[in-house]
Amino acid sequence: MPSKKKTIARLLVACVCAIGWSQMSWGVGTIELPVPTDPTITFRIWFKVGSQNDPAGKEGLASLTAAMISNAGTMRDSYDQILKKLYPMAASYGAGVDKEMTVITGRVHRDNVNAFTDLLTEAILHPAFTAEDFQRHKTNVTNYLDKTLRYSNDEAFGKEMLYDAIFANTPYGHPDAGLPGSVRSITLDDVKNFYHTHYTAGNVVIGIGGNFDPSLVNRLKSALDALPPGVPAAVAKSSPKPPDGIEAVLVDKETKSTAISIGFPIDLLRGNRDFYALWIANSWLGEHRNSSSHLYNVIREKRGMNYGDYSYIEYYPAGWARQFPAPNAPRRQQFFEIWIRPVQNEATHFALRAAIRELQGLIDKGMSAEDFALTRGFLKKYVRHYAPTTDLRLGYKIDDAFYGIPDHLQTAEKMFDALTLDDVNRAIKKYLQTSNMKIAIITKDAQALKQALVSDAPSPMTYATPKPPEVLEEDKTIAVYPLKIRPEKVVVVPVDSTFMR
Amino acid sequence: MRRWWVALALVAVYLGIGATVAKATEKIFPYAYQQTVLDNGLTVILIPMESPGIVAYYSIVRTGSRDEYEPGHSGFAHFFEHMMFRGTKKYPGPVYDKMMTSMGADANAFTSSDITCYHLEVTTDDLEKVMELESDRFQNLSYEEDAFKTEAGAVRGEYLKSLSSPGFVLRETLLNTAFDRHTYKHTTIGFGQDVEAMPTMYEYSKSFFNRYYRPENVVLLIVGDIKPDPTLALVKKYYSAWQKGYVPPQVPTEPEQTTARHAEASFQGRTLPIMAIAYKSPGFDPDNITLAACQLLGDLAFGETSDIYKKLVLEQQRVQYLRPGFGPSRDPGLMSIYTMVKDSADLSAVEEEIYRTIEQYQTTPPDEARLKDVKSAIRYSFLMGLDTPGHVAGNLNYLLAIGGSMDVVDRMYAALDRVTAKDVMDAAKTVLAKDKRTVVLVEGR
Repeated sequence: MPSKKKTIARLLVACVCAIGWSQMSWGVGTIELPVPTDPTITFRIWFKVGSQNDPAGKEGLASLTAAMISNAGTMRDSYDQILKKLYPMAASYGAGVDKEMTVITGRVHRDNVNAFTDLLTEAILHPAFTAEDFQRHKTNVTNYLDKTLRYSNDEAFGKEMLYDAIFANTPYGHPDAGLPGSVRSITLDDVKNFYHTHYTAGNVVIGIGGNFDPSLVNRLKSALDALPPGVPAAVAKSSPKPPDGIEAVLVDKETKSTAISIGFPIDLLRGNRDFYALWIANSWLGEHRNSSSHLYNVIREKRGMNYGDYSYIEYYPAGWARQFPAPNAPRRQQFFEIWIRPVQNEATHFALRAAIRELQGLIDKGMSAEDFALTRGFLKKYVRHYAPTTDLRLGYKIDDAFYGIPDHLQTAEKMFDALTLDDVNRAIKKYLQTSNMKIAIITKDAQALKQALVSDAPSPMTYATPKPPEVLEEDKTIAVYPLKIRPEKVVVVPVDSTFMR
Repeated sequence: MRRWWVALALVAVYLGIGATVAKATEKIFPYAYQQTVLDNGLTVILIPMESPGIVAYYSIVRTGSRDEYEPGHSGFAHFFEHMMFRGTKKYPGPVYDKMMTSMGADANAFTSSDITCYHLEVTTDDLEKVMELESDRFQNLSYEEDAFKTEAGAVRGEYLKSLSSPGFVLRETLLNTAFDRHTYKHTTIGFGQDVEAMPTMYEYSKSFFNRYYRPENVVLLIVGDIKPDPTLALVKKYYSAWQKGYVPPQVPTEPEQTTARHAEASFQGRTLPIMAIAYKSPGFDPDNITLAACQLLGDLAFGETSDIYKKLVLEQQRVQYLRPGFGPSRDPGLMSIYTMVKDSADLSAVEEEIYRTIEQYQTTPPDEARLKDVKSAIRYSFLMGLDTPGHVAGNLNYLLAIGGSMDVVDRMYAALDRVTAKDVMDAAKTVLAKDKRTVVLVEGR
């Protein structure tokens, strides 16, 4: 439990941050990041609406609405005309939608800021909502859900299946893009109503960074003040049901290799001292796309089983495409995740055992003093690479405002100095476990895998190439490592049936 | 040793792109840089810029899958990228990894058809240590056969992962169909059978390293919070002992294509039909007006502001996307148009629409105002991507790999500026010729 003094301090920080950014009754809020040496100006217009606001049966509505603002015509210009105006500036704007927030983003050279701002505000204030644009976006999303999500990137699919399982029956419990059935049911009127409800002056914060003139901020504020007043009703925090033992969903699909994702909810957010302690432990266990990751070392480096193996203590968007986490996907409910990149189909059970065994090993033994010192030193420098640009720094500032905390990345650097090995090992025991987890696997012959999993059958590993004796000896232990998965906790789903609800 | 300073008129005016656009004939690259060629042939490019405490360190090997000319060895450049992380006798892989970890380095590598690039972002304090480590592994790489075979397993995993993407199947089929002899025939990861055979190629891997990982074939690019002279002194300290010995690959010349080609491939999963229409294009030459005109032509004819984009994507909505891939390659390569068609029944109509667009550009010069817009967009896009050391190095590395020297940057953009509407029409006629065309279609189940 936090001390009373710390709690008060956090409340004060939260209040100060809130005053710094949130909308007051007399106008739109702003988050400013002046960078006089940056010749560009970056915009992140934050609307406090996300896929958690999708009405039941209309999942995907927040994303579709954002697309109809950021990639469609306005009352003044068709989308084609907008593209032609933006093109010579090499500028663009777009939208990112996560569970809790929608951010309209844009970046332009200061030479062109006035023309760009005009287009951007017009898009937010006066979207045309034409049937033609709506049809284009709706068809694109439907095609993505029908043809791409489940059929062209098994890693992304596996992750989405994991999130779906962890957050089932909560507002977080569907892909941001929606479901094949729900998107088909969305009408243009749904989009208009959603826009009028959520794109209000009381629900927006202007994020602006770079070499901007203060008058630009006032101009934007005045413009967005023209949005309808009001603050929409808040969505209750997603509180997922904790897993009961190991619960697995096996997607039966003709695959050449198998994607595996493992996870469970954790009640831990940025700003909490334990978050930074667990960050150190997690970095050692599974630093994203980094050979310092212990899981990577065990599964890829020593055994050559796949391309990489990582772990996370908060949502990491599009991990297959990014080296560092993108901002503006903050959440009130987080989760722990292990991502095992595709392994040969026949190695699935072994890889699963290896990863869970390593996690349990960390819980049982804690970090060593040497690993703690090395990882802490690594992170202190590594976080400096997280937000090198004005645009990313602005994104992180918005996330700080969401969490009501001071600068997260600076806090991290300080925390890494202040935390002790005991802090880290205490956090590991408090938040990590292997008894109650969700697992999503995309694989061929899922029924056979189910039988192997529920019988805890040995899964001896064979290699095409020689391995050192110590690896082969350890393999014997991994191959019989008990997972204790109950038959009723394993569901096999044909790929064509996934997300079809 | 050759050495020169390039002090540009626009040094202080990364802040002033407008001026650059207005005076289109001026050099585009806004930072001062120092380029030096050491006695052993290593090209060193140092670009100081404001970036408190951060340095981007790029070792650019001018070898990619293009250099895999020996049958049965496709995919080796990429595989070798993996092996470079296995360390040396002085700093074995685990020690190298631990030192990188202690530095908090953002370290990675990538391979394409023309380049293998090892890139790090580190703090300035760690620059000398990084230089010691990187120079050591480029000169003294050492790994055992078992480690080599284990890494082959990781590469196989990467190959299998790629197969779950219809885009990869399209690319693999396109290259295999369009090229007969040149090594662009295979993708960077290699032919499947060659990837399977990699574990048996230990001895070959050492030969690959000895021939290609030589100073004459490498550009060392360091950008960020550095002082050029002391940095160059460090480079000399750590790299001067690296011995020459580059053996150029015997990359076969592709015979001239004389008839149009067509291929279809099936994707085991679901996908909307994807089509590539590609034409043989000239190899990289920064001064080549035809090549420059092609780069503009791609955006003019098939970019987001083109008439066909408006018609097929926005109005008729018959395609999910339409995009040009008209960038340069070191050797004669492909200029490609990619599209995803929503209904198979529309494939022929979409294909014909693309041909009609090409015919239009072959017979009518583009509108001057649009040509100006494309030039403006290309320049702003380049300059806006130079805001951090990592972005500067990220934007330069490919040009340096195919051009070998910083001057190609300004020369290429100068050529883009010189392109006239007639040049665009002439390029459309000579490059987008029917006989040099390859069409590939991928459909799902």
